[in-house]
This record gives sequence, C-alpha cells and structure tokens, in this order.
Amino acid sequence: MKRRDFIRTSALAGGGLLLSFQAAAKFIDGKPVANNSDALGDYVKITPQGDVLFQFMKHEMGQGVSTSMAQILAEELCADWERVKIEFPMADKKFEHDTGGSCTIIYQWDRLRLAGAIGRQMLVEAAARQWNTPVANCYAAHHEVINKTTSQRLGFGALASAAAKLTPPQEATLKDKRDFQVIGQPKPAKLIPEIVAGQLKYGIDVNMPGMLYAVIARCPVFKGKLKSFDATNALKVKGVKKVFTTKPIAGLQLESPYMPHDIREGVVVVADSFWAARKGRELLKIEWDEGPNAKYSSEDFEALAAEHALHRTDPTGYTGDENAVADVSHVRKTLRASYVFPHQIHACMEPLNCTAHSHPDGCELWLGTQAPHLIVFELNRVFRFTEDKIKIHLLPSGGGFGRRYYPDMAVEAAFISKEAGHVPVKMIWTREDDHLHNLGHLFQHLEYQAGLDKDNKLYAWYEKEIRTYTWGAKYADPQLPSMGYNIPNIRYDFEDMIRQELVQSSAWRGVVGHGRFYHECFIDEIAADQKIDPYQFRLSLLRNDDVYVGDPVPVSGSRLRRVLTLAAEKAKWGKALPAGQGMGMAVCDYGGSYVAVIAEVTVRDRQLRVDKVTIGVDCGKVINPSGTSNQITGGIVWSLTALFYGGLPIKNGRAVYSNFHQNKLLRMNECPAMEVHFVETDEERPGGVGEISSALGVPAVLNAIFAATGKRIRKVPLRADAFA
Amino acid sequence: MATFLLNINQHPREVDVDPQMPLLWVIRDFLGLTGTKYGCGIAQCGACTVHLDGKAVRSCSVPMSAVGAKNITTIEGLSPNGQHVLQRAWQQEDVPQCGYCQAGQIMTAAAFLEQQPHPTDDDITRAMSGNLCRCGTYLRIHAAIKRAASQTKTP
Repeated sequence: MKRRDFIRTSALAGGGLLLSFQAAAKFIDGKPVANNSDALGDYVKITPQGDVLFQFMKHEMGQGVSTSMAQILAEELCADWERVKIEFPMADKKFEHDTGGSCTIIYQWDRLRLAGAIGRQMLVEAAARQWNTPVANCYAAHHEVINKTTSQRLGFGALASAAAKLTPPQEATLKDKRDFQVIGQPKPAKLIPEIVAGQLKYGIDVNMPGMLYAVIARCPVFKGKLKSFDATNALKVKGVKKVFTTKPIAGLQLESPYMPHDIREGVVVVADSFWAARKGRELLKIEWDEGPNAKYSSEDFEALAAEHALHRTDPTGYTGDENAVADVSHVRKTLRASYVFPHQIHACMEPLNCTAHSHPDGCELWLGTQAPHLIVFELNRVFRFTEDKIKIHLLPSGGGFGRRYYPDMAVEAAFISKEAGHVPVKMIWTREDDHLHNLGHLFQHLEYQAGLDKDNKLYAWYEKEIRTYTWGAKYADPQLPSMGYNIPNIRYDFEDMIRQELVQSSAWRGVVGHGRFYHECFIDEIAADQKIDPYQFRLSLLRNDDVYVGDPVPVSGSRLRRVLTLAAEKAKWGKALPAGQGMGMAVCDYGGSYVAVIAEVTVRDRQLRVDKVTIGVDCGKVINPSGTSNQITGGIVWSLTALFYGGLPIKNGRAVYSNFHQNKLLRMNECPAMEVHFVETDEERPGGVGEISSALGVPAVLNAIFAATGKRIRKVPLRADAFA
Repeated sequence: MATFLLNINQHPREVDVDPQMPLLWVIRDFLGLTGTKYGCGIAQCGACTVHLDGKAVRSCSVPMSAVGAKNITTIEGLSPNGQHVLQRAWQQEDVPQCGYCQAGQIMTAAAFLEQQPHPTDDDITRAMSGNLCRCGTYLRIHAAIKRAASQTKTP
C-alpha cells in the first residue's frame, strides 16, 4: 500500500516517536463534507519507556471504537496490547473528530493500518541501523524488533527516539490477515479498569477551582418565548449567585452545517452548587408566551402526517414504472398499510452537560461531544470567537446516540460563563430537562402499497415517507427503499413536515432505519396475504446481486440472504410452537453491514414477552467479536424500549413525561435471551456495528406478534390495550 | 446550612451543606468523588447507588440529614485497587459500553452478593432490575454477577 504522503513523523519532547497523520474528509452520516488535505493530526506516541499512547480523536460514547481502533493500530504496529493506552487529545481542526453514522471503523481501517505499518517499519529500520544489518534481516513482534541472525532484541521504547529521526518509508507492507493476532480477538474494552473503579472522567465529572454550577429553566413549549420572570425568591436561596435570561442566545437557530436546530428560551440560575442552582430554579416565577404550539398535541400532528401520507408527491426515486401500483392492466390486487414511528427521547444515562470558561475573546470547554467542529462553528458564528481562541477538552460520554452531535449545550454553557463574569461554570441538564425540553428523535410515517399481478406476484411497491428531519437536505437518502427484494416496479416518495413539527427533531441511534425498516413488516403482510411462510417469501424475493438504492454503497442481496439464512437456521425457524407463541424476522443493511433478527415471543394474559432474539450478522471483517456482540445485543434492547415504552407524547405543546418513572426503559427482567452469530466471510474490510440492530428489533417483534396472535400492530409503543 | 461529620470510604470528612441536599451531590460536588453518577434524581435508575452500612441505597434520594453516622461506601471505596471480585468479573465479561451506569450496577450487585452469595439466575435478575442501562448490557451484567458468585466460596 502506498503511503500517499499522509504520514509525518517527529520526535517527542523528552524522546520517543510521534506518528502524525493526515486528516481526511470529515463525514456526516456517511457523506464527505470537507477535505482539509494539508492538515496533519497526531495519532500515536511511542515513549522511550515503550508505552504506545494512542491518541483517540473520535468520541467514545459506549460504541467501543476507542478499543477497536487501537486494535487495528496495535496489530500493524506489532505492539503488545497491554502496553497500548488510550489518550483523549484536545479538539483540533487537524483531526477528523466527527463521530456518527456508524462509519468510524469503515473510514479508519486503512488509515490505522497504514499508520501502524509505517511505525513498525521505522522501528525495524532503526534497529537494523543500530545492528548494522539489512532491514530484511529484522522483524517486529510483541513490542520488539528481532535480529534474525543474532536473535538480538530491542524493545519499541529503546528504538522510538532513533526511529523518530528516520524518513518514513514510501511504501507500507500490511500484515497478511492470516497473521492477525489482535484484530479479531475479543479484547475487553480498554476503558473498563477505569470504569469499574469509578475513575473514568466524563464531562459531568469535571471540577476546577472556583467553578460554579448552572441549570436553565427552558420554555416547555417548542418555539415558545420568555415573557417575564421574577427571581426574588430564587436569589434568597443560599449559594445562588446570579439569575439571568438566555435572551441573547434564546430561540437561536443554530446553523451548523447539516444540523440546523433551535435553542429554547429560558432563565439561568447560577449557584455555588448544583443543588442550590436547582433549588433556586424551582423558586423562579416565569411567564411564558407559549407561541404557535400552545394548543398543539401529538394526536394533531400525527393526524396531519397521516393526511399528508395520502397525498401523492413527485417520486423521490423509482425503478421500472413509477405509476405501476396504479396500473390496472397489471395490478389485480392492492394491499395497503400505514406505519408510524413517533418521536423518541435519547435518555443518555449521562445527562447533557458542558463546563465552560469564557474569556472576553474566547472560551475553553469541557464536554463529551460527537462533533467538536460544529461547536467551533457555532461559537464562532454566535460569539465571534476565532477558531484559535476556542479550546475544547474532549471527554468520553455516558451515551451519545446522536444527541451529542448537536452543539447547543456548548453555546449555552459558553454564554452562561460569559454572563456570570467569565468564571468557569458547569451547566447540567437535569433528567427532567432531558425529557421535557429536549430535542427528540425524528418522526416517521410510512405509507405502503403493494400491487400483485394476476399470478399473485409482487409487481409494484409504493412507499411514501413523511419525516421531520433531513439534515438540511431537500430530499431523503437513500432515494429508494433500502432493501434487496426483486420487485419489478418500486417507487419511493418523500415529504418533510419540518415546519409542522412540535418538537425539534434530531438523529437517534439507528436514525431513519426505524421508520424505513418497517418495510420488513409490510413484506410480512404480503407474505401472509399470499399464505406463504415469511422466510420462504423473503428467500423467493431476495436478489443475488447488488442493488443501488441511492447510497454510495450498494445493498448486497447475497449478503442479506446469508445473514437471514444463518439466523433462521440458528433460531430453528419453522419449529412447532405452542399457541400464543410466534416467531418473526426482519433483515436489513446498515453502515456497510448486514443483519437479520429473529424474535420469539409469547403473548399470554394480554402481556407480551420477548423470549429470545437470534441475530445473524455480517459486518465484514470483525475487529472485536466481544465488543461487536455487545453493540448488537444492546441495539436490540434499544429497539425493545422503543417498542414497549417509547414515544414522546406532547399535550398542548408540553411533553407529558418528565422522568424514568414515566419514560420507562427496558430493564433486566424484561431483557430477552439473545444470541449473536457471525456469518463466515472473506470480506477484507469491516462495516459499522453500532446501529445495525437498533432499528430491527421492532419489525422482528411486530412480525412475531402477528405469528403468535394474528394481530398486526403498525405503531410503537405498544398500547396498554394492545392485546386486550 | 449545617455541619455534618461523615464517614466515607473509611475516612472521616466534614461538610457544611443544606441538610436537604441529597447525599449524591455531597459526594460528587463537595467530596470530589465522581464515580457515583447522577442519572435521574428520583431513585429510578440506580446510577447513584452507594452503600450505607453495607446496604445499597440510591444516594440521589437520601438527604444529608438522614445519613447520620452510617458508614458510606462509594465505588472508589469498594476495593483498594479496583480488584473486587465483581470489578474483575466486569472486566472478564467485557460488560460496559458507555460505562456511566456501571458503578451503580456494581454497587447494587456487591450489596446483593453480600446478602446472597449464591443466587439463582432469577435472584440476580430481581436484584438488578432497579438499575437502568441505556446501552443495554443487561445480559453481561447478569453473567458477570454469576461469574463473581461462582468464585465466592461456600461458607
């Protein structure tokens, strides 16, 4: 592999080797948005003591990429895994920090291998020079370079400073995958020792001398405004220092590229402890102008969406005849169904927070964020801080799930610190803030029609999606249903309802897959109509070739088929089940990976229990089977929370549920048994794994409910009377 | 405000705080022990679990005035070097994802295993169903507790 001039090396202060690396394109949801080709980022340091300090510049939010990225690097470097440590560098425009869209490993694979291989070759060359022997006479293994003739050994630490003085080689020789010793191993996550000892520092754990605390009373109604407030009683609370409005940033439309969203208006209470700030906030007297959404509720919005779903628009994409579903010369029977995936809360276990210390011309921030460059963009736009005056300390977070992509907490905290007199302030969203005044996952309504021909063959597929978020784009991506079924005529229509939404929409783990993979339920409906087993029906429809749906990467019919077959075999699809039990399946591609989910459920005494979930997965080259399985089973739990308890009901503009006693999350006693099976594959490259299962639990379970009861459910969460 | 003399992780500490302030915020903001996490503030998630005289409590819902002379143990004090049988089992089972809830999970499990060193699968599930994990690591938490229990000698 060619070095392509994107590696640079230098000596570390105090000795050792620093391998730098060219930042490549930034990606948002898989799409390149910028390419700063001159930028060099610092990747890995090898100290004279032999520690390999991996400069982890992505965001670790539980998806495990700090470990899997380090594995790729350590593999090519031939480093001892125990000597590899994760370090969190400051935000820097040189780095490609952006973390989202399940694409970290996809885009880091080549770069990390190349960096590791070049580092290894330089260490080998340094040793060869010291021994005055040809490079070919030396090799690296287990953190050492070994002389083949003399069996002499030199550790990486002893070689690092000499290696730093060498010119990086023009060509890197990557290891043969048969020689992999770290890639493919179920290494426990690197951060576990700190996590289990309570030592890992998240954003919310930041502390510094003189730091104050802040909470904000935000307008309970989206697009509402602050009319007036009285802080008399709040200011009487011991420890409360200051109360002021967020007017200058309130109602601000953040314009971050692809991430437009509003900050709610509010009143800030600053105090010397979180508790005092919170107590003070309870004593505020606030009058809100609730604005256009004051009498608007979820039911109104959903009814409007259902109405829009019935209108034909121009097709966003189609194959074959765009009007096939209405072609009566071919279509003898039409099936229709509407599915709804409502707004959802993120409920990151670590509530949103940001610590800021503003100065007259800049700001220093501490937080966990998926997108530091959006923070820089907004702080520059809102406060006119120049890029070099914005310092961001990046910390791991207790869950991101898309919510930590948005820069609003940084804007709020920077503003508060400034108004509080340029002192360090930690702003925390309480759990109630998180549930009541937050961004929600985008809403989706899917309207399906299937046209069957005279032989009962699926002739035409029509799908219309209504959605409340598009990343600022005019149309949805992909522009066709993301599925590998061989249907002669497919049409996809899209309409956004951003202007009518009653909560600010945003991205959520699994993103648009939640609505768009409802096609797995509609396929099930068609199979049932034809009295064909849903598995056999899918096998008869799945293509063997690749299909382009508008994404840069095609959907592979054969890979869909393989994961489905594997899951069906492992779950013993078709086995006899007692009355009240059933199995359902769903299959999809996501982030370059493929997954099939088979759910086994029992409906008894009007209660649903998900007994077992079997998952077949093809994520290409598996970097870490343990971490990957953890992501996949976790994604199913995510999905089941949406199924049992999800939604973000809003009444008269206000979110109805305030905390976990109402917005329930799945608990251990509701967690099904789960098995993850990997397809044996020769794929050379890895795919993303953080979101592949999170949108597929719902359709698989809904299909299983149908198998168990004959009842079709087309909306989550399940109603209390779903099985009455 | 009132002065409280606390015994935390076997060290005496004095704080001057609002008697209504929940123990959680005293631990985090006044004693600087941030391993104990804020999750919900209403005893629904378990992220803030600590031990009071060996009993697992949700520190977000225990006001300072109720702590008295009880011994407080936080995740930092569970074992001298992070090598409690549960902490090792968490590593061996590769449990955490984001890790934020895990201190609370471990503290709940530790008090539970003290009471019931040889639990059944159902016992573990019952004991742990008060702790939320948004990442969904429940099966591994269960497996880690089972592993730890199997390493506890029968008296």
